[in-house]
Amino acid sequence: MSFDVDIAKRLGDRDIGARFSAGEGVTALFGPSGVGKTSILNMIAGLMRPDTGRIAVAGEMLFDARARIDLPPEKRRLGYVFQDARLFPHKRVRANLLYGHDIAPLAERWMSLDEAVEFLGIRPLLDRWPRSLSGGEAQRVAIGRALLSAPRFLLMDEPLSSLDRPRREEIMTVIERIATELKLPILYVSHDRAEIDRLADTVIMLE
Amino acid sequence: MLTPEEWGIMLLSLKVSSVAIIATLPLAFALAWVLARRRFPGRFLLDGLVYLPLVLPPVVTGWLLLLAFGNEGPAGRLLEQLFGISLMFRWTGAALAAAIMSLPLMVRAIRLSIEAVDRRLEGAARTLGASPLRCFCTITLPLSLPGVIAGAVLGFARSIGEFGATITFVSNIPDETRTLPLAIYSALQIPGSEASVARLAILSVALSLGAVILSEALARRGQMSERMGHVL
Amino acid sequence: MAHFLHRLWLLILATALLLPVAAPSAALARPPLVLAAASLQESLEAAASAWAAKGHERPILSFAASSALARQIDSGAPADLFLSADEEWMDYVQARNRIVPATRVSFLHNRLVLIAPVASTVRLTIAPRFPLARALGNGRLAMADPAAVPAGKYGKAALEKLGVWASVSERVASAENVRAALALVERSATPLGIVYATDAKASAKVRVVGTFPAGSHAPISYPVARLTASTNADAEGFRRFLVSREGRAIFARYGFASK
Repeated sequence: MSFDVDIAKRLGDRDIGARFSAGEGVTALFGPSGVGKTSILNMIAGLMRPDTGRIAVAGEMLFDARARIDLPPEKRRLGYVFQDARLFPHKRVRANLLYGHDIAPLAERWMSLDEAVEFLGIRPLLDRWPRSLSGGEAQRVAIGRALLSAPRFLLMDEPLSSLDRPRREEIMTVIERIATELKLPILYVSHDRAEIDRLADTVIMLE
Repeated sequence: MLTPEEWGIMLLSLKVSSVAIIATLPLAFALAWVLARRRFPGRFLLDGLVYLPLVLPPVVTGWLLLLAFGNEGPAGRLLEQLFGISLMFRWTGAALAAAIMSLPLMVRAIRLSIEAVDRRLEGAARTLGASPLRCFCTITLPLSLPGVIAGAVLGFARSIGEFGATITFVSNIPDETRTLPLAIYSALQIPGSEASVARLAILSVALSLGAVILSEALARRGQMSERMGHVL
Repeated sequence: MAHFLHRLWLLILATALLLPVAAPSAALARPPLVLAAASLQESLEAAASAWAAKGHERPILSFAASSALARQIDSGAPADLFLSADEEWMDYVQARNRIVPATRVSFLHNRLVLIAPVASTVRLTIAPRFPLARALGNGRLAMADPAAVPAGKYGKAALEKLGVWASVSERVASAENVRAALALVERSATPLGIVYATDAKASAKVRVVGTFPAGSHAPISYPVARLTASTNADAEGFRRFLVSREGRAIFARYGFASK
């Protein structure tokens, strides 16, 4: 059981919640815009606190309202790829990539900078500033940064939405490889049917 | 050029202002951070208190400092007992007056700078394993730095021209509290000192103008660098 | 509508043009403006009230250090009378033709005293080389600015004559005027200060530690004169009142000696 999630939160005048269990591979959260998919990811990441419920990933309890467990994001050992990459503008690509890597304990780093760079094909970008990157390049760097932070699972929030067709193909291939070669559980949010059909092993419908 | 006495006045002004700004910067940053990021009951009161020196007549601020830090004041007596220091008639008192008057400007500039930092970047840093402290040091602080520096320079410019609070609190003592504005005021009291007044006034304008231009340049450089993808 | 606006503009224009014509008469209606040394505060106010009680317009009094007043007069201040705390500043404005020489009269005297806050128990005898620096301890000596203000100049001269100035010159808290120096001692901001005897008498919060020997400084003499810029017909009358027997008696009540 990779993801074991049962949470609810009232945001403004909306009720957001999800209850699902999912196994290995890519689990897609699918639903229309505004249903709260990003909020659910943020709650699993620890960036937002649910009102009630529990979150467990790969057997580890990250949040349990009744047992008063609430691990802060930095202790949840996750990688989060945002819709808009969110690279640090004051650091070059290399420093962005290594940000989480240098924080992680030596024993838990399962990927080196060289490996990530080769995996994502971003060697020429290492000395560039984030603002000078194209959408696809930035997204690849964001994925690399997340992978290098020694995560035990990945969250991806519509990572392809700001990309054009050729880039989408590129990144989708990368994601497939992460799931199959690196064997990392991925929680993938999207409102695009085609993406889901191609990538997902499990689909969770939200409405 | 300047007489030796006038050089002394300029150096005293620079000393008083530099100490004032450097000593106040951490406090200004802390206040700016609390006002930018934290919600708590009485927040608007803190906001008002911080901006008070900006809107009060400087003489009133000086008088309040006198009540608190004078020889008979509660804070003054505490300083005397604990550290043996007295601020009356001393350049340290002038620095305190300058610091209080510059604080609102600094807090305002730094607060805007902190508010401009994208909190989602901080969230990203947290998911990458950064503790709140590390996140602050590696993300928030560097990104707000141009605004912090611009605020410090602006505060410095303000403190160079500080008069009312200084003369009310620590009087006009040569070599101790007779900063540039006080020196000009004294010179004006004496007929026949036009040349000296003119020199000191030009100096005052040059220092303040220089600081303001520098502050603007730094602030704009910070923006430009953001656009080009890096900071400083 | 346009016709009305035209009329309005004409009215405004006429008023603006006529205003300067109306102004001089406004100046005549203003009471006399007297610039006086700070140490004359209470006594001159009393004299002005006495003058007003006789049915004249009460003069407007402006008090400051004589040096500051001399500067204002030299810049053409539209005042009527000048009362200086020493002859030097009166000489200064006279040399610049700012006063009517025939109206200059020295008519008040004062003494210089060493004061302490009323609660202080310090005892000092003012004599050559008296231990003033030791009595100050870590504190300062409040004086009007010794460089320019009469009370400060007299004080510095006295301390120099007594051979004590060198030991305390770095410890002076110099104030804008003699009243500001008095205020410092009243507030216990300084342990000792030098002011006029009349200032000490006017304050309940200080006590006199000693009086400076008359020979230790130039005689403290207050001259009065009418300014050449004076346009007020009543000003000369007030001046004559001040130097009259009745006027001097008022000042005597506050501790000023007369010629």
